[in-house]
Amino acid sequence: MITSHTAVGKSVAVSCAGEVLWLLPERAIWWPAQRVLWIADLHLGKAATYRALGQPVPAGTTRENLERLNQLLHHYQPTQLVFLGDFLHAAKGRTPSLLNALAEWREQHHALQCVLVRGNHDSRAGDPPASLRMEVVDEPYLMGPFAACHHPQNHATHFVLAGHLHPALNLRGSGRDQLRLACFCFEPRLAVLPAFGEFTGGWTVTSQPDRQLYAVGGQAVWRLPE
Amino acid sequence: MIKKTVESLPPVSSLPASAAGVKKSLLVWFSARGWKPFAFQRSVWAAVKGGQSGLLHATTGAGKTYAVWLAALQAFAPEKPTKLRHAGPSAPLSLPLTVIWLTPMRALAADTVRALQLPLDALNAEQPGALPWSVGLRTGDTSSSERSAQARRLPSALVTTPESLSVWLARADAQKTLSTVRMVVVDEWHELIGNKRGVQVQLALARLRQWSPSLCIWGMSATLGNLDEAMQTLLGHENGLLVQGAVPKKLVIDTLLPTQSQRFPWAGHLGLAMLPQVLKELDASPTSLVFTNTRAQAEIWFKAILEARPDWAGVLALHHGSLDREVREWVEAALKSGRLKAAVCTSSLDLGVDFLPVERVLQIGSPKGVARLLQRAGRSGHAPGRPSRLTLVPTHSLELIEAVAARAAVEAGQVEARIAPAQPLDVLIQHVVTVALGGGFEPDALYKEVRQTAAYRNLSPESWKWCLDFVRQGGPTLAIYPDYQRAIPDEHGIWHVPDVRLARRHRLNIGTISSNASMAVQFWSAAASGGAKLGSVEENFIARLKPGECFLFAGRVLELVKVHQMTAFVKKASGKRASVPRWSGSRLPMSDTLATAMLLQLEAAAQQRFASPEMRSVQPLIEIQQRWSALPTPQTLVAEVLQSREGWHLFLYPFAGRNVHLGLANLLAWRAAREQPGTFSIAINDYGLELLSAGEIDWAKRLPDLLAPAVSDAALLEEVLASLNASELARRRFRDIARVSGLIFQGTPAERKSSRQLQASSQLFYDVFRKYDPSNQLLLQADQELLNDELEIGRLSASLARMQLQQRVLKNLERPSPFCFPLMVERFREQLSNESLADRIARMVQQLEAAAGQPTQTSGAALRKGTNTPECVDEVQKTLAFAQDTLSASTAKTSGRVRTSRRKPSRPLPLL
Repeated sequence: MITSHTAVGKSVAVSCAGEVLWLLPERAIWWPAQRVLWIADLHLGKAATYRALGQPVPAGTTRENLERLNQLLHHYQPTQLVFLGDFLHAAKGRTPSLLNALAEWREQHHALQCVLVRGNHDSRAGDPPASLRMEVVDEPYLMGPFAACHHPQNHATHFVLAGHLHPALNLRGSGRDQLRLACFCFEPRLAVLPAFGEFTGGWTVTSQPDRQLYAVGGQAVWRLPE
Repeated sequence: MIKKTVESLPPVSSLPASAAGVKKSLLVWFSARGWKPFAFQRSVWAAVKGGQSGLLHATTGAGKTYAVWLAALQAFAPEKPTKLRHAGPSAPLSLPLTVIWLTPMRALAADTVRALQLPLDALNAEQPGALPWSVGLRTGDTSSSERSAQARRLPSALVTTPESLSVWLARADAQKTLSTVRMVVVDEWHELIGNKRGVQVQLALARLRQWSPSLCIWGMSATLGNLDEAMQTLLGHENGLLVQGAVPKKLVIDTLLPTQSQRFPWAGHLGLAMLPQVLKELDASPTSLVFTNTRAQAEIWFKAILEARPDWAGVLALHHGSLDREVREWVEAALKSGRLKAAVCTSSLDLGVDFLPVERVLQIGSPKGVARLLQRAGRSGHAPGRPSRLTLVPTHSLELIEAVAARAAVEAGQVEARIAPAQPLDVLIQHVVTVALGGGFEPDALYKEVRQTAAYRNLSPESWKWCLDFVRQGGPTLAIYPDYQRAIPDEHGIWHVPDVRLARRHRLNIGTISSNASMAVQFWSAAASGGAKLGSVEENFIARLKPGECFLFAGRVLELVKVHQMTAFVKKASGKRASVPRWSGSRLPMSDTLATAMLLQLEAAAQQRFASPEMRSVQPLIEIQQRWSALPTPQTLVAEVLQSREGWHLFLYPFAGRNVHLGLANLLAWRAAREQPGTFSIAINDYGLELLSAGEIDWAKRLPDLLAPAVSDAALLEEVLASLNASELARRRFRDIARVSGLIFQGTPAERKSSRQLQASSQLFYDVFRKYDPSNQLLLQADQELLNDELEIGRLSASLARMQLQQRVLKNLERPSPFCFPLMVERFREQLSNESLADRIARMVQQLEAAAGQPTQTSGAALRKGTNTPECVDEVQKTLAFAQDTLSASTAKTSGRVRTSRRKPSRPLPLL
């Protein structure tokens, strides 16, 4: 296992389908060979959806999400950014302010190639506006040995990268210490990414044979013993 | 309709009786039943006649219902028959809605209706139309057809719950339908006053008073330490009449003693060791109630009793709040008719349903408070003049001391006070939206109105403004909550809720009892509708089960078949291991009154006085505690330090109740972490607290600093608030607030499903508020509630001061003492940490790696087998089992094992 201290945080490199992938503490996967960055479950406009339906959730999560994304893009300079589904939360959340913020963000990275693999939320929220110049595709979207998906699944020939679950794990230590952390979840033919978005919940995964978990926290990714 | 009224005008002979006539015939009815009005009943009658409000203090079964109801019948007899209307096409003439009878539990409502109907039926049978009253019921269970019938014509007296009344207030025609009300009766006020439901009642009463200024309000309460305050809180003013129901009930309190003296207390144990004695007691009495403190405990006891006495199948019942309504109603009816041998129940049967046949009450575990003990004792001998008897069944040794202490407190007449919550903004926000729905409001008028309640008497204009801003635009500035609004003023300045969908959701969400999402439990059948319904359990419990796994519920071992749309389908299972659902309900803290009484008992023991059989039974344990450590008394503060494989432990025994211990433990951990960053695990119980540090710490040396008094109250407050930020407490407290203020949507499972895009946990809300709207008043309220209700900052400060006066005894333990053992093995723990997250994760990952490299020798199972463990652990293990009774061992092990495997790889027992 290789670890690397970058300006952004401590990442972990894993070997996967004959390629080297970097698990980033910003909850993304970096494929240096092809300069691809994968991100799952951004859920943009979730807070706005709540407000539209009468729940007072303060604004600010969208800006924060995009800022974290910007930092990643500046640091890794990818040629392609692939969203593994649930880019937008709901149709109600497509407020003018969100769409403006997105347009502005896209302008800053106009050379970047963006792909959205549709997730369950995207199907209902609708595709992002064409002006964002995102290629919107259905799963599986094949990229080299990888199949980019939203829902975790098996693929006959390709290694699946997916989101949807928002995986998290419970870590325990002596002195009755315990923590709940977002995590990457690797199985022999499948990897599930943690949700990138703020204001999203988590689904607890437990350790199992044939499952490797990587906890995310404290600006680092941590490989857990099996 | 009018024509019909004229046609069916009764003949002169059946005209309603005059006020004097009503009184006379009621007295006749009373004496015909062999009753004589008590003095307190007469004084309530006179007071209501004079338009006075008040509080009636009487034990259950002392005739308080008729004190108030007959008063209403006399005072509000119609002067003229023209006021009467038909309750239905064929129903006799009756008064418009005159009396609202609030009862805290739906189960009580049906019973109350029957009690109110009794004198009406009797007198109207003699003289038709003499009492032109109709009685109706409206709770969450009322069918929609009945609701719409009520919407056309309300009964003269409506029995309902605080929530249903609030839902009514949210109707656009609320003023029109409710302005005829002349009297509101609040039954079991002691159950409501101390919580937010009571605040909801205060607000509803203020609303009703706007429409009927001469509204007469009567509360009924069991014994409380602060009855005057309880009355003022209910009425909103001090001019009420406190009537004392002077029927002393004979009360017998005794304890079932364990057959062999036990050395170690064990709070986690369910106390089934006492089963043989309990069976003997049940056998000796025709009908008994067996109270437990938790639903899980009720399930386990029910199963254990039935396994020991299979011949009681059919006459032994189980009753708790998660069971299906029909099941509960069947149990209640069977209890009333005396068909049951015994019912195992929780607080679900605490309140005043009349169960005349019940002769004995057994209480499993400590009742934790004197008021609760009295209440439960009152369930037996439930008729004027009959004695009440309550038998305490200890589940661990220290509860024997609690039992003596409780009896001493009852004899001394010491009963806890219940303090009403002070201006909870979440309840106010809910009420503001309710009123906006119920015809709208003008802000200044509503501000004046809510300030008439005791809860919001001192509500500042700023807080009021914040509430209005919150419901209008989410917060004081528009920028934080773009595109959001709930209630807005119209062109006349009257506030309404314009969105019908929001309105509907608010009505479904009204209430202040927050519960975790629950899932229906139903037998699986091929038919689309499924089999019989059993009740509901918490969603997160079901989520942890896989199909094929078993759990104990409704007295049966059930196997999960599948989960479909918020229903868990199950089938009967036998011979399999079952886990027991753990409902998250807060555990009852021991009251100050009881804690003080307990310390006095320990003081006597320290002076070698063992006066009662209970104390003699627990004498060996006390002697060990004295030998290995020391005995806490009013004058001595005992601290114990111990090092185990788990880390460095500090135990402290202030005997100030769970709440204060929680605040104190957080404060001490915070002070300890200030000098040296670390992570502390906190365990508390009613007797003391434990701080456990994974890193080395010299507790003995640090103790004087940790216990130092704060320079001022303000400084203490600051420290406690700082400690809260490092812990999870406020976050958890926020859950209820988020629900009541409408952030989180409740409602039936089907409705929840349709609003799935709005599902977010209160934790997420908490985090996002903290980050983007840190001055949100609901966050501040979470802190405030924690300080006042949960940590009881006043008592905390007093405890710190008292500890300064106490003599401090510090003991270095070689092995866990009897008092520290329950703390050491407590599962529910709090955490406080100011370490960097990376350091913490690094340490835990490192430990996991070290453990992964070794054979799994460290697990609890290995300890249990006694391999490689010092002999004393074996001895402790044995005594922990609290009498080696096969049944208790098997059940306890079963549930324990299932949970253990799920919770963590190693169940840490102290390495001695």
